[in-house]
Amino acid sequence: MKSTYAPLMAALTAAALFTGTACSSSGSSSEEATDPNEKVSLTYWTWAPNMDKVAAAWNAKNPNIQVTVNKQDGGDPAVTKLLTAIKAGSGAPDVMQAEYQKIPTLVSADALADISAEAGALKDRFPAGAWNGVTLGSEAVYGVPQDTGPLMFFYRADVFEKNGLSAPKTWDEYATAAEKIHKANPKQYLGTFSATDAGLFTGLAQQAGASWWGVQGDAWSVAIDEPKTQKVAAYWGGLVEKGVIDNKPMYTPEWNAALNDGTQVGWVSAVWAPGVLEGSAKDTKGKWKAAPMPQWDAAAPATGAWGGSATSVTTQSKHKKQAAAFVSWLNSDPEAVKLLATEASVYPAANDAAGALTSPPAFFADQADYYAIAAEAAKQMSPFTYGPNVNVAYSAFNDAFGKAAEAKKATAFTESLTTMQKTTVDDLKNAGFTVAG
Amino acid sequence: MPFKKGRSKTATVLLLLGAAYCLLPVLWVLIASSKSAGELFSTFTLAPSTHLFDNLADLSGYRDGLYWRWMANTALYAGVGAAASTLISAMAGFALAKFEFPGKSAIFNLILAGVLVPGVLLAIPQYLLLAKVGMTNTYWAVLLPSFISPYGIYLARIFAAASVPTEILEASRIDGAGDWRTFATVVLPMMRTGLVTVFLFQFVAVWNNFMLPYIMLGDDKLYPITVGLNGLLNQGANQPAMYTSVVTGALVSIIPLIALFLTLQRYWQVDLAAGGVKA
Amino acid sequence: MTTSAPARRTGTPYAFLAPALILFAAFLAAPIVYAAYLSFRKVKVSGLGLGARSRTEIWAGLDNYTRSLTDPDFLPSVGRIALYGLIVVPTMLGLALLFALLLDANRTRESVGKFARISIFLPYAVPAVVGSLLWGFLYLPRVSPITDVFEAVGITAPELLSRDLTLWAVANIAVWGGTGFNMIVIYTALRAVPVSLYESARIDGASEVAIAWRIKIPIVTPSLIMTFVFSLIATLQVFAEPMTLRPLANTISTTWTPLMKVYRDAFTRNDLYAAAATSVIIALATFILSFGFLKLVGRRAFNQED
Repeated sequence: MKSTYAPLMAALTAAALFTGTACSSSGSSSEEATDPNEKVSLTYWTWAPNMDKVAAAWNAKNPNIQVTVNKQDGGDPAVTKLLTAIKAGSGAPDVMQAEYQKIPTLVSADALADISAEAGALKDRFPAGAWNGVTLGSEAVYGVPQDTGPLMFFYRADVFEKNGLSAPKTWDEYATAAEKIHKANPKQYLGTFSATDAGLFTGLAQQAGASWWGVQGDAWSVAIDEPKTQKVAAYWGGLVEKGVIDNKPMYTPEWNAALNDGTQVGWVSAVWAPGVLEGSAKDTKGKWKAAPMPQWDAAAPATGAWGGSATSVTTQSKHKKQAAAFVSWLNSDPEAVKLLATEASVYPAANDAAGALTSPPAFFADQADYYAIAAEAAKQMSPFTYGPNVNVAYSAFNDAFGKAAEAKKATAFTESLTTMQKTTVDDLKNAGFTVAG
Repeated sequence: MPFKKGRSKTATVLLLLGAAYCLLPVLWVLIASSKSAGELFSTFTLAPSTHLFDNLADLSGYRDGLYWRWMANTALYAGVGAAASTLISAMAGFALAKFEFPGKSAIFNLILAGVLVPGVLLAIPQYLLLAKVGMTNTYWAVLLPSFISPYGIYLARIFAAASVPTEILEASRIDGAGDWRTFATVVLPMMRTGLVTVFLFQFVAVWNNFMLPYIMLGDDKLYPITVGLNGLLNQGANQPAMYTSVVTGALVSIIPLIALFLTLQRYWQVDLAAGGVKA
Repeated sequence: MTTSAPARRTGTPYAFLAPALILFAAFLAAPIVYAAYLSFRKVKVSGLGLGARSRTEIWAGLDNYTRSLTDPDFLPSVGRIALYGLIVVPTMLGLALLFALLLDANRTRESVGKFARISIFLPYAVPAVVGSLLWGFLYLPRVSPITDVFEAVGITAPELLSRDLTLWAVANIAVWGGTGFNMIVIYTALRAVPVSLYESARIDGASEVAIAWRIKIPIVTPSLIMTFVFSLIATLQVFAEPMTLRPLANTISTTWTPLMKVYRDAFTRNDLYAAAATSVIIALATFILSFGFLKLVGRRAFNQED
């Protein structure tokens, strides 16, 4: 795993120089009280469910550092609010859940404090990829990894059996299966291409070996419109054009209905999918199975990620030391990690989390190897670098691929990448970033 | 009415069609909130079921009754916001209608211009300014901006002009009452009907507001119902949307306003142009 | 107390106006000025832009305005709301006027009139976010009763959120939400018309339709003008409905209306400056259109009682 990240580490050493010098002030604790008996209260923004119960375990043991959880509406609104608060100069929480893809944006807006002094020692407790997500390859540490979202494939075992199919091992097999299922029952689809979920498409591009951003010296590079991503876009565009998978967004009442009535019979998703399936189509419990992702090259298996986040301390916190202590405990203490898995239903990033994940999720109660598949997937994660304007690329994805999916033309899918690339590069240039190439 | 009226089938049919169109989504939400999560997406849309109370219990159980806190917050924002805004509008409307003073028309034009400014555009700069005084993420962040309603002032001015005769003000002054006492004891009661209307408009406006609280509030214990329901719907990719709770919550959230409509019907009458409230 | 000192008399209106003016300054004027200021600023990043002090705010001149106006998404969004306004405003006001006249003509049983009045007004009580969500359910083929009705009579149901129909689907929500309010406004104006004005026409045997056209509609014209202006403003600001429907369909882009573009720039792209510039453009367009229209009709609506 370490070796796969080596190129990224090298590429980002330049970033290390920049952040190392620029952030020397933000991590300092000169303004903080050093009295260990001082009572402080911390606010913590997170959207993971039941996080207040996890925080309660900390509060019970740390009467002087009380954490209040403010539940957020999900990653995007929370980041939006944090950035607005940073811009305004007040209003930010002390502790903040931050998705990996948002960390460069947040660091670039000077929203996250460097907690390397407090949390730097935790490095070996996490997979190198996740750790890289919070350091951006620098000496600074902008948070502690909380969970990861390795991609997995979920399918209706009953429908597969009826059609004489087994879980697809390659994307070719997936395409064949999609065609066969749709032919047998024109109402059934093995999946849908969702233009509202840029995160999933990014994960698929990651699996194919793309890395959309990169650092060259002190310039950013953008590689969205490149062969590997084009291959992914053309593949899905082809399936949509053929009509063998659906073209409607996911997470809509329509999609829920399709999961319930058995017309969506497969889902390329991530390790957290059981919770969504349980909430959206409870009655189909027992009919689903989880499998590793279909591969481009079965001999060299790879996965991408969808979701996954770290816990960070914000630059506006007046108690960075205490906040960093909480963040470290939350994501590495065995008791906390267990609570994360059981109460907050996240897939903890910590290496030794396996102990907390002994039995499969309730929705997949029959599948004893659920977390073994997940752990294997987590190990096969391809390296991927996020840039400082992920949101711009994602909203360009929404617009361009929305049109392409509606048009059901494979060529429109690949052309959309050109639009995304141009929008992303233009935005970087307009903000004054140096862009290579 | 003194004149003879003939019944018209066309009129009845047209009105009932209009009513049916307007009630369709309300009927849908009523039926949908009686369904279990599975039924919501599988049974015929307009076939009711029996799970309304289960859904209400689920909704009430969500994070220790947070939903009811949202309802209470909304009542607070709308009630206090509308009351304060009505009083402030009444004072300003009275001054604009019944006094001559330098700058009067400039002020009135300014307020008219204020009517035209989209609230959505104001929310971001309002946030940035309130953040400078550390007031974001508090009840005040939502309350204070709702205290000012150019539209309310505009209406109050019309009402004051139409319902407060100048002679009565003169008489009150001659009786020795100060301006404030005259305002409290003579003007306010005379404007009462109109002010209830102003109150109702502002109440509905605050109740339905989404953007301002969405931006201002980080703590979901302070959320009003619109922002809360939106949160239940958009939980991020790795959480399922809580459709049954959202649907049930939507139904419950419109009940208070329907009650308000039914009880205060006669105040829902406003002539934007000519001004008077005809009760 | 009786000595009405001139100082007090002149101070009084200002005292009554003070709370309103202070709040106006703080929550309307200041934010507008601030937004205008931001629209001439921008952030410049140095190097990789990671870490503190790599961003500085500088003057941008008219950069943000040029970018906003030349953004390939901007003009289509303006065109879209123009078309949207052409659908919504006449439909909504037409229906509102029709219902108001029907109610006023009193040609139905009182209970029917009352029921219809309350029912049609009811959507006004439903927040746009909630109303759009409910309609969203009604639009999606698999969960919609509309589809079931079509299928029951053997017709393929139209896809209401497809490319050709999305605009109409959004317009429908606005019409649904706004008709009742405008109906009440017009209805109130109608009830202010003295019955004597058209009683003689009625005795002469004029039909209700003729009375409506020749007497009632001309009288409520000022009210219609006002409802038109407010509807126009609402059209320029359409936001909550498409924003709520957006995740349900491929056909609503992040810049579907100008205000959605403001939202995207401010919140998704974290570019408050571009958002401020677009805001200023929208605000100016609103002022020009509404004041222009009022000027055109002789400002008779606003200055009625002067």
